Amino acid sequence: MQMNNLDSLPKKKILSLFMTCGFPTLNQSKKVFNEMLSHQPDIIEFGLPFSDPMADGPVIQEANKLALRSKLSTQQSLNLIKELSKSKNNTSFVIMCYLNTVRKFGLIKFIKNIKSIVDGIIIVDLPFEEEDEIKKSLSKNNIHLIKLISPMTDKKRSQKLLKNSKGFIYYISATGITGSNKLDYKEINKNVKSIKRISSVPVLVGFGIKSKKDVIDISKKTNADGVIIGSALIQKYFDIKMDFNKYLKSLKKFIQEVKI
Amino acid sequence: MKKYKQPSTVGRFGKFGGMYVSETLMPLLINLDKSYKKIQKDKKFKKELNDLFKNYVGRPSSLHFAKNLSKYINGPKVYFKRDELNHTGAHKINNCLGQILLAKKMGKTRIIAETGAGQHGVATATVCALFGLPCYIYMGSKDIERQKPNVFRMKLLGATIIPVESGSKSLKDAMNEALRDWIKNVRDTFYIIGSTAGPHPYPKMVRDFQSVIGREAREQILKVEKKLPDYLIACVGGGSNAMGLFYPFLNDKKVKIIGVEAAGRGAKTEETAATMTSGTPGILHGSYSYVLQDNDGQIKEAHSISAGLDYPGVGPEHSYLKDIKRVKYFGITDKEALEAFQTCSKLEGIIPALEPSHALAYLIKAFKNKHKNKVVILNLCGRGDKDLFTAAKAIGFDADE
Repeated sequence: MQMNNLDSLPKKKILSLFMTCGFPTLNQSKKVFNEMLSHQPDIIEFGLPFSDPMADGPVIQEANKLALRSKLSTQQSLNLIKELSKSKNNTSFVIMCYLNTVRKFGLIKFIKNIKSIVDGIIIVDLPFEEEDEIKKSLSKNNIHLIKLISPMTDKKRSQKLLKNSKGFIYYISATGITGSNKLDYKEINKNVKSIKRISSVPVLVGFGIKSKKDVIDISKKTNADGVIIGSALIQKYFDIKMDFNKYLKSLKKFIQEVKI
Repeated sequence: MKKYKQPSTVGRFGKFGGMYVSETLMPLLINLDKSYKKIQKDKKFKKELNDLFKNYVGRPSSLHFAKNLSKYINGPKVYFKRDELNHTGAHKINNCLGQILLAKKMGKTRIIAETGAGQHGVATATVCALFGLPCYIYMGSKDIERQKPNVFRMKLLGATIIPVESGSKSLKDAMNEALRDWIKNVRDTFYIIGSTAGPHPYPKMVRDFQSVIGREAREQILKVEKKLPDYLIACVGGGSNAMGLFYPFLNDKKVKIIGVEAAGRGAKTEETAATMTSGTPGILHGSYSYVLQDNDGQIKEAHSISAGLDYPGVGPEHSYLKDIKRVKYFGITDKEALEAFQTCSKLEGIIPALEPSHALAYLIKAFKNKHKNKVVILNLCGRGDKDLFTAAKAIGFDADE
């Protein structure tokens, strides 16, 4: 069976970059991902746009809306990922999406499209209680189902959730939706430590990481193995008033900064 | 038929329902489910709720024999279950009282809710005023525009209204935003969902609190007619008033049950809210049920003249009842509902809300000169005051100032 890049993630300072597929347009999206790929981050997360992304914040919702403006289809997003995988190298490819997208596309067809291309998948609204069938099919094709742990997840539940977990564990730093403001390092550290007592898979902290300082602080002040940055990458586009060429430049600068 | 026993312990109505939410919400829902199970056995809770039903809401709501309408239809004897007489003018208050008592028991100090027509928002703001809890109502900006009287009511009651500008700016988007708020403020906040939609345990919980409607109706009809009704009819958006009426009758095989959806400009057009007529199973707001969606599973915008039915999803129990054929669902257009709105006002001296006007329209259309000697109970779940401006505009009457 083909290698899964997620199985050979570095031990520390893992960087995962999230971006919505088809944002701002399908063609521009290719350029955005190519820019991201050129920095060879450890992981790239491809967000599949959904009309009702209830677990995401306003920035990612806006990105979804822009991507869907031109009726971007799931197939087009998957084709984009496939095309980009040619220059994938050691970067892990992870899809982040909502369950309705996978269901409507058809699980078998979905897996067929991403097999040997994508290393992991995060289905935001698929709770542990409902995952059996999907997890089995994914694992047969060497695709890891990535688990989310929130500050509200208690120890007993974490133990159930993280049994046999693979790839990495996505720790949701704030009790909040993607892109919210404050990071509580003490709480993060406490929770990451308790996750690490249960699982040996790398723990990445996501939600609310916005700057080089945040990345360094997570690395210094907590036991986490890395970070996930999403909203901050997209926000840049709106900050420079949607000038795409400027956006690519500011994206480049930002990614260079957060690679510590 | 086996005795009706839904949902399962994990919130499944057959294959529908469930809890499709992110891990930020899962622990909360599990906790809510546990707390709800506990209070169901709590006699004090039951007594408190019944006292409020009786003295604050004015329950039981009456069962009115709509003589003139029956004569006009020239078919069955039509009874109105008059939940529009409730305090706040709709059935929504039944559920809000149940949920706020639960919130109190759970020690929550902040209440949020979504609203479409504003009826659930008003009911939530009302119970928050009664219990002295801060109240935040998410409402689509489109709905704020077309439900001004209710917006003012909520403000008077001390609620903060948060306009929702995303998506179609109506009920679906208000629910997205309320869920986001809940994820952000999990520790102190209780989310009062107003319909039998959303993740488990909401569909069950809301149905249970609303089923006071059906329990009363059953007792009342047995008293006057000495038999069960032949038909039940209610409008279905998310489906709470309908589940409230239907649930206590589901085991009575002889009672035929009809749910009426808003077909907007027609169930086959793009401008519809007839989820079960035009939709397919999918996941929206944490629950697997019929939804209006495209081939890629993107949720479509719904359309209905009635803000309360303007929702592209439906409660999972309705999807189940449709699939097992226990309840039949039909669509009624904006135009048909508006006509029934006027007919009912003139004939019975009752101005119904646009939501039950859909149920009325179906009754008039499908029962005209038919089903004589039969007995129908129709859930008149809301009054029309809030819709006066919308209706006046649609009919072409200048109601400004």
